[in-house]
Amino acid sequence: MADWLSPAEWEAVRLSLRVAFWATLFSLPIGIPVAYALARWRFPGREALNVLVHLPLIMPPVVTGYLLLLTFGTRGPVGGFLDSALDLTFAFRWTGAALAAGVMAFPFMVRAVRLSIEAVDPKLEQAASTLGASRPWVFLTVTLPLILPGIIAGTVLAFAKGMGEFGATITFVSNIPGQTRTIPLAIDLLLETPGGEARAARLAGLSIMLAATALALSEWISRRVASRVGGR
Amino acid sequence: MLEIAVRHAFPGFTLDAALTAPPGVTVLFGRSGSGKTTLVDAVAGLLMPDAGRIAAGDLVLLDTERGVRLPPHRRRLGYVFQDGRLLPHLTVRRNLAYGAWFAPRGAPREDMGRVVELLGIGHLLDRRPAALSGGEKQRVAIGRALLSAPRLILADEPLAALDEARKAEILPYFERLRDEVSVPILYVSHSATEVARLATTVVALEAGRVVAQGPAAEVLGDPAVLPAGAREAGAVLAAVVVRHHSDGLSELDAGGLALFLPRVAQPPGAALRVRIAAHDVILSRGRPEGLSALNVLPGVVREVRPGEGPGAIVALDTPAGRLLARITRRSAAALELAPGVAAHAVVKTVSVAPSDVGGGRRAG
Amino acid sequence: MSKPIRRRRAAGAAALALAIAAAVPASAETVTVFAAASLTDALAEIETRFEAVTGHDVAVSLAGSSALARQIRHGAPADVFVSADPGWMDVLEADGLVEPGTRFDLLRNRLVLVAHGRGAEPVEIGPETDLVGLLGDGRLAMALVEAVPAGRYGKAALESLGLWDAVEDRVAQTDNVRAALALVALGEAPYGIVYATDAGAEDDVTVVGRFPAETHPPITYPAAGVAGRTGPAAAAFLSYLRGPAAREAFDAAGFGMARE
Repeated sequence: MADWLSPAEWEAVRLSLRVAFWATLFSLPIGIPVAYALARWRFPGREALNVLVHLPLIMPPVVTGYLLLLTFGTRGPVGGFLDSALDLTFAFRWTGAALAAGVMAFPFMVRAVRLSIEAVDPKLEQAASTLGASRPWVFLTVTLPLILPGIIAGTVLAFAKGMGEFGATITFVSNIPGQTRTIPLAIDLLLETPGGEARAARLAGLSIMLAATALALSEWISRRVASRVGGR
Repeated sequence: MLEIAVRHAFPGFTLDAALTAPPGVTVLFGRSGSGKTTLVDAVAGLLMPDAGRIAAGDLVLLDTERGVRLPPHRRRLGYVFQDGRLLPHLTVRRNLAYGAWFAPRGAPREDMGRVVELLGIGHLLDRRPAALSGGEKQRVAIGRALLSAPRLILADEPLAALDEARKAEILPYFERLRDEVSVPILYVSHSATEVARLATTVVALEAGRVVAQGPAAEVLGDPAVLPAGAREAGAVLAAVVVRHHSDGLSELDAGGLALFLPRVAQPPGAALRVRIAAHDVILSRGRPEGLSALNVLPGVVREVRPGEGPGAIVALDTPAGRLLARITRRSAAALELAPGVAAHAVVKTVSVAPSDVGGGRRAG
Repeated sequence: MSKPIRRRRAAGAAALALAIAAAVPASAETVTVFAAASLTDALAEIETRFEAVTGHDVAVSLAGSSALARQIRHGAPADVFVSADPGWMDVLEADGLVEPGTRFDLLRNRLVLVAHGRGAEPVEIGPETDLVGLLGDGRLAMALVEAVPAGRYGKAALESLGLWDAVEDRVAQTDNVRAALALVALGEAPYGIVYATDAGAEDDVTVVGRFPAETHPPITYPAAGVAGRTGPAAAAFLSYLRGPAAREAFDAAGFGMARE
């Protein structure tokens, strides 16, 4: 198995997993509140927020990558600040690849979570509040357990998207082995190297296997959680 | 003591009601759409009325003039919803404990074991709500509300979604609540039977306004107030079980008069409430002879109230209590029934259904 | 009329029709040209002139030569291919994708080191150059060093100077040489290795050093027609590339012409 892919290719796999993991991890605490706000609250600018969340879905990925470069690059307003204040660099680093993956995956996370929040009967939340639970407690003890299947679905979707992100990544942080050469970028390179098609195919096969496993896992977890909530 | 004054405008309907709820079960009685649920939601804090003041004892829950409005989770009211609303992802045990978890430290608490026994739900504790029947769900809902150490229990037509058998099964639990638990209960209903059995105090609502409030027997015995319509009219008598006869009848003492009912469950010496539906009462001037009916109650006519159709409601004061009789206007005229006239009320034993008989304290 | 005479007459009429057809250019034919990204500006000029002169339409697709070659190998509808290194043309030729007799060397180019800004300090390029020191925290922008010609030449040059090992993990690799140039222009990368002809395309970039020609294989741009797709219009375009008008455009961009 270790000989099936070269060390460079294994590096791409490890990097992809790492990038997708962190991208998803940071999308969760931002995605869930945003999904809740869009699902339950009415406020000025709600539509604008909705559009903003969906932008990475509808803009060409290269454009998203370019905007990330302008904003989070070493010369960008946010990137420069983070670099000097917190010593946090995104440009040409796996952190930038994770940021690109996270941004592209964000709309998927929000959509899945929002859908499941909208499916929760507000009357249950009302009942909980009459029993003495304040708003945050209602969220933690009633809403959150009930939307768990949706959160899981959103997480897996975001993870898979993060593993497959190409356009924004290569435009923002370019193709650096060990730092930003995730599986899609590695495959792209192999396709352009003479004689690289076979290795590209193997890497693509592995990528598909990983995605299929993630999907199967999420289905299984979702079903277990849903049955616990549904009360069998 | 609960004081409520609420005003709220809906399109096509205005609620403007003021009432006081003494200890015991206060029933908000009226037809669908009379504003009962709105009132209860306002007390719970789930609805913010245009104007009003709600105080439970010395705690002000709402005062629109002074800008006081406690959010629902701070009012410490136990709400039993019509649709139960048990949390589907928790077991019965956890559902019951949910309210207790949020109760403030110093609050007087009910004991979980006692409540479970009171409601007969011990064997359900490890099940999930999805595996419960409608009646079981409501009992758990009642338990959950009780265990949250509430100042007041609100119940919005909790039996409306159940069939007759379930209702008969659960009504006694509410009676027990009234008699054994010291928390006052605000209960919404449009069912005359439920009111008759449960109410200590009745507040009659019609089109968003309070048309009568007072002790149950009084309000239910007032022919001017028919919140559920003339067909549902019926007075409530207080009686004590004397003995059970071998032919399936029970003999009761109602204010010195003998009352025969089909066999009741309660033992001799038990105090009961009995609802006598107005349309089951026949009136006669003199004492009738040779009738099959066992219950003949002498009394004095207090009021004759003609209806819009052919009917009239007559209120009769008897030693057993106030009775209502629904007869035709023709007969009322023919018998020359008028306030002060002596008359007898005839009630067929078999016309009193088991659901019309309830245990418990005197009906006001 | 006898049979042989009729046949000769028919043949004569057919020949005449063919001659007429060949002599009259089919109006508004489209020539699809796949060309290396470094030819962006020069080809823009040439495209306009060719279209004006011949009335044919030219569609140019610019990318890294490696990407273009891959697309042609998978059947992309290119009529003409101009590659930034002979290697990729060789690959196509080995696959039988080059129209025989149409390949020729078109241009020469030089490799330069560029820096961000308009007045950057010149850098002496030799075995002693402290490239890593110059880069500091930043990266060296180059095209994909395993695939794209500009990247491959750059790596070869750095290797022959003995500088590659030190600088290898400071390189930011892009899909094509223009993207590397853009990174330097934006200031995201302080230095980059691009063609001499690229430096002129961006204002915010200065050429600070030239790589000696011995340090890398000669940068030759071959051009050819794609097998089975080199019609008259495509052939005309290939001729035009060797003509004086095209030479002017290439000169202006800084290319050298290859000797035939």
